[in-house]
Amino acid sequence: MNILEAHKIHKTYGSRGNKQEVLKGLDLQIKQGEFVSIMGASGSGKTTLLNILSTIDHLSSGSISIEGKEMTKMKERQLAEFRKHYLGFIFQDYNLLDTLTVKENILLPLSIKKVSKNEANKRFSDIASELGIEDLANKYPSEISGGQKQRTSAARAFIHEPSIIFADEPTGALDSKSASDLLNKLTRLNETRKSTIVMVTHDPVAASYCSRVIFIKDGQIYTQLNKGDEKRQDFFKDIMKTQAILGGVQNEH
Amino acid sequence: MNINLLIWRNLKKNIKNYYLYVFALAFSSSLYFAFVTLQFDPALDEASGTVKGAAAIRAASVLLIVIVAVFLLFANNLFIKRRGQEIGLFQLIGMTKGQIFRLLTVENFLLYFGSLMIGIFLGFLSSRFVLMILFKLISIDELAELQFSSQALVQTLIVFAVIYLLIMANNLFFIHRQSILSLFKVKATTEGTVKRVTVVEIVIGILGLCFIATGYYVSSQLFSGDFTSVNELFLAMIFILGSVIIGTYLFFRGSITFIGNVIRKGKGGYLNITDVLSLSSIMFRMKSNALLLTVITTVSALAIGLLSLSYIQFYSAEKSAFERVQADFSTNSEKEANMLTEAFTDHNIAYTEETMEIVVATFNMADMIHLSVDPESAGVDVQKMESTVVSDKDVDGLDVKPNEVFFTGWPAMYDPIMDVNENSSIVMHTTANEYKLDLVGLNDEPIIPFYFTFGGSPTAVVDDTVYKQLQNALNDDLQTIFKDQGNRFYKINLENQDDLVRANDLYDTLDFERNTWSLQLEFQGVKEFIGLTLFITGFLGLTFLITSGCIIYFKQMDEGEEEKNGYTILRKLGYTQNDLLKGICVKQFFTFGIPLILSLFHSYFAVKSGWFFFGTEMMTPTIIVMVIYTVLFSIFGLLAVLHYKKVIKEAL
Repeated sequence: MNILEAHKIHKTYGSRGNKQEVLKGLDLQIKQGEFVSIMGASGSGKTTLLNILSTIDHLSSGSISIEGKEMTKMKERQLAEFRKHYLGFIFQDYNLLDTLTVKENILLPLSIKKVSKNEANKRFSDIASELGIEDLANKYPSEISGGQKQRTSAARAFIHEPSIIFADEPTGALDSKSASDLLNKLTRLNETRKSTIVMVTHDPVAASYCSRVIFIKDGQIYTQLNKGDEKRQDFFKDIMKTQAILGGVQNEH
Repeated sequence: MNINLLIWRNLKKNIKNYYLYVFALAFSSSLYFAFVTLQFDPALDEASGTVKGAAAIRAASVLLIVIVAVFLLFANNLFIKRRGQEIGLFQLIGMTKGQIFRLLTVENFLLYFGSLMIGIFLGFLSSRFVLMILFKLISIDELAELQFSSQALVQTLIVFAVIYLLIMANNLFFIHRQSILSLFKVKATTEGTVKRVTVVEIVIGILGLCFIATGYYVSSQLFSGDFTSVNELFLAMIFILGSVIIGTYLFFRGSITFIGNVIRKGKGGYLNITDVLSLSSIMFRMKSNALLLTVITTVSALAIGLLSLSYIQFYSAEKSAFERVQADFSTNSEKEANMLTEAFTDHNIAYTEETMEIVVATFNMADMIHLSVDPESAGVDVQKMESTVVSDKDVDGLDVKPNEVFFTGWPAMYDPIMDVNENSSIVMHTTANEYKLDLVGLNDEPIIPFYFTFGGSPTAVVDDTVYKQLQNALNDDLQTIFKDQGNRFYKINLENQDDLVRANDLYDTLDFERNTWSLQLEFQGVKEFIGLTLFITGFLGLTFLITSGCIIYFKQMDEGEEEKNGYTILRKLGYTQNDLLKGICVKQFFTFGIPLILSLFHSYFAVKSGWFFFGTEMMTPTIIVMVIYTVLFSIFGLLAVLHYKKVIKEAL
């Protein structure tokens, strides 16, 4: 079952005379429970794509539906309502509110949905133990490490069991140990909770944890790679090769 | 692109950011200019000359300079910090610090003196309006004329030029102290990083509340008799001041965090959007702004307190003993009463004349009055109190029995220093006898003119028979001003109040030897002084209000900028702009409300401890002042909300 379907998305920036087309009629389907990563060189439009898929940016033409709900026609208020129930976010720079403790940060999405306090506490302890952050519950973001912050951010994305989670360079600011740690956790959550994750990255290692990699070039899908039954290392090599052909900036892994 | 072009571009770009700074500057300079114009206005010379208010006006203008200077320096500091990055960039591309300073100086010069000119122009326009208010307050029926005073202009320019130099010195210091790297970080380091709430803070928080409570308690005891000597009283006042100010500081430093933390603990980590935007933010912000908020609170409390007191004075004067005694003219001399009435008859002024007999006697009031102050320091001997006495036949609607006494004109001023036992009796002494009289009641309505009450003391009303006996056995030493005049005084009232001006002109031409008063003229002097006091405190109060409101608003602009990131996150999480705005409203309610409410409380207790020296009515004038202050202050809160609305809108 397709959880996300996008048809012919166009996105142009700028006004008349100085138009720049970033996305040029892009089609995309993502199935329930998939862990997809979107790769591409700088300026290929991958972050724009993520912003549009996640309703933060408006598209110029085309259509997007998540769980069968068409969102291109939605008003600002409806979009907020939609994000509240169906979407989760993980960002490169964590985006935690530094005046809130770890637990308060994680529980934020639940308070919008007015989940009962007991239920919220139960869900918190579940996700926190899965991500190994239950000891940090009462710490402030300034007191924990980058990896811990990102796991907090991930916990916040998962706690309200959204249909789809968008991750924008989640490992971008992490050292390689914390990065692989986080990716392992994401993979596990993807398997145990059957959650759908869409991740934008330019790191082939991070991409190799996914089940499918979509390459974007100049606003269009260039190619896709499926992991299938391959081992992660082999999949990583495939990704590297594709990236070389793609001609983006070479990564030195 | 040369440096001049850069300055011009910078100025154009910054005016949008600086609009409030421009407003603040224009406003404070217009206030100052208006005030100085008044100071040099010949019309005011008459008013201030009669009441010797010139010194008060001069002192107020010095105070005004201090407030304006501190405020402008503070505002400049906030704004230059915001531009740290830009200054860092200029240094990075090779500008020397001297060049950057020149750039800022020229830019600031244009901005500063531009707004100053606007301010002076507005001040010039508003000075007439301000003068009209003043005339209204001191009840001078003159038309305020618009006069441009070059003296005032020069003084304003000098004062603001000096402030400009101070600001520039401050900027120079700022530029020189910073390295390129630290300039880039300025924004990040202005607020302390968020840390966990420590035990020390909890202790500080509780201490703060205790200090304030202690200060309030002592203030309520101030005039209740526990502090008898002047020295003790002075020490107590210092103690109150210190305790409340330190308490306020600790309150902002710890109590807010402490209370916030208790609430948060109760929520068990499950915060809704309003909590997130208000509670958690305020908890940490208030702490890092503790000193600033303490100053604002103290200054506002001072302003509200002084305003309340002077308004109490003004308000009470309106309905004081002066006016309630319906006697336009009063005298204790038959001869002078005749002079006056003859003059009135000659000039066709209709009047009524009333004569009242009055004596002075001593009373033993030990049973009735319980002094709460030390009798010696208060100079009161309850066993031998002097009081004026009148017969009940002269008082309309009052009939006391031979063994009874009623007190009229009982001043509110007595309340804090003595308790009255309503079911008691007093002993009246005459040279022949002693009379034991039961107290049947007292009121605050004076029945004899103020001048004959020995500074507003009460008058005893006794039965006519008792009064006759008293007259026959008078202690002559006590009769003072009534002695030679057969213990009588005369009240002369005009039938038609339109004649008042003419009557007073006549009064001025007559040559009186003894005690003859015109209510109107006596009252005028008092009213002028009180009006001028109210005007000056009002002016300063308004300046306090606007500067402190602006400062909090500036701070909020800064906070909004810093928290913008958080709004982005929250909006991505699915909160609507309205959700966020609701939270922001609550936050503004507390950011502006906590200092305001605290200063209202401070001033309330301050006023309560000593208001009776200023007038007879406390609640109404105090509440009026507080409501006006609150409403005006809330405008800044509203402005802040509007600013946040813009920030939130731009956040996604």
